[in-house]
Amino acid sequence: MSPGFKRKLRTASLLLFILVVVGLLVYSRIMAYSLAPTLEPADFSGLAWYEIPIYYLWDYISHAWICLLFAFTAAGLVYEFMPKDLITRYMGSNKISGYLIAAGLAPLFTVCSCTMVPLFAGILYTGAGIGPAITFLLMAPAANVLTILVTGELLSWEIAAVRIVASLMTALIAGVVVSKTSWGKAVEKEHHVNAAPGQRGAIELAKPPLDERLIAALKFGGYLAKQILPYFIVGLIVVGYVTAYMPESIVEGYLTGVTGVLIASIIGGPLYTPTLVEVAVGRSLLQLGMSRAALLSWLMGQPYDVANMTAVSKITGWRVVVTYALTAWSCSVIFSLVYGILTGSL
Amino acid sequence: MKTLKIEVIGPDPPCVRCQTVRRVAEEAAERLESAGIKVEVEKANILSKEIIGKYGTLVSPAVAIDGVVRIMGRIPNEAEVEELVKAATEERTQD
Repeated sequence: MSPGFKRKLRTASLLLFILVVVGLLVYSRIMAYSLAPTLEPADFSGLAWYEIPIYYLWDYISHAWICLLFAFTAAGLVYEFMPKDLITRYMGSNKISGYLIAAGLAPLFTVCSCTMVPLFAGILYTGAGIGPAITFLLMAPAANVLTILVTGELLSWEIAAVRIVASLMTALIAGVVVSKTSWGKAVEKEHHVNAAPGQRGAIELAKPPLDERLIAALKFGGYLAKQILPYFIVGLIVVGYVTAYMPESIVEGYLTGVTGVLIASIIGGPLYTPTLVEVAVGRSLLQLGMSRAALLSWLMGQPYDVANMTAVSKITGWRVVVTYALTAWSCSVIFSLVYGILTGSL
Repeated sequence: MKTLKIEVIGPDPPCVRCQTVRRVAEEAAERLESAGIKVEVEKANILSKEIIGKYGTLVSPAVAIDGVVRIMGRIPNEAEVEELVKAATEERTQD
């Protein structure tokens, strides 16, 4: 077999695999097969304590695997094929394009601290400044491919859509607010690296053949899965117990109305929970009676968790972190209240 | 003949993916060495002003060969790094 033929064969089989993954998702849609788990809290009442995690995990895995497989594959592909050199070139051009690229770019990045913090710093240093950097930082965990797909499939597409819009506005507001503060400006000045675009070392990305890019994309998807799934499984076991033993009266009493939004946003903010777990917790609490408005503020709490804030504070200092966290928190409360009032789901 | 420099650009402390790239680069360097091309692998901090001023790389892991960023945001294999280095050496001899 000639190497050229081998390469074509490999490309074809990789494309086939991707096609099958997409096909599975489409097929499950057509057949109206639920990709979200189907057990209700009441189903757990008859189970022994050791049976709960088994049933809960199985319920999730048997339904959600198609969605997860698709999400990880999509995340890998999007990350591999986005034009990184173009982004690098245009990021620093001016303020407005900086904000637009930061917000538009964020969905392409699936959270991975490896990428996030350097990117944040990169945006800050290369000239776009602190505002777009904060926008990107808040937008990326809230609206990346994986988050949106999982929120949409496992919770509801309405919540996913509202989440994208609310997160986008929050991220833009927080970016603008931070860039107007004196400490924000100081950080920007301190870190600005003067380099005329012409003097920069060239970026001429090598373009490997399609099969290698596809392999790299799937490998990155696999790497993300390896990073995220262990937390997800441990998280699900905990959520399983919460679902089984949490009295509905507590959830209905504390996680509805204005108090519900406030409490959900306070717990959801600092707590470090990977997206998938956050969605699972949200789903469980929703079943137990949490209002949809409180759910939104719970989900919007993600971008300003402690791990994220600590990493950023090393670059920008605490004042910037406190400013954007407070702004993001107020926005999440306001948007959730507005959403609750508009849809009558407070 | 001058030594060629491979810079592996990533955050410090390095993330898992950047460590993999470094290992790949070092293995490629060893193979190139036996083929008569001297290569030096260096770790560069993506957050340092020097690297940002020089390249403006946003996505890690990145690999610069002879002062040109050729790989950004993915893990190459040894053969690819070898080929890129060879291409860079040829360019040099043409100059």
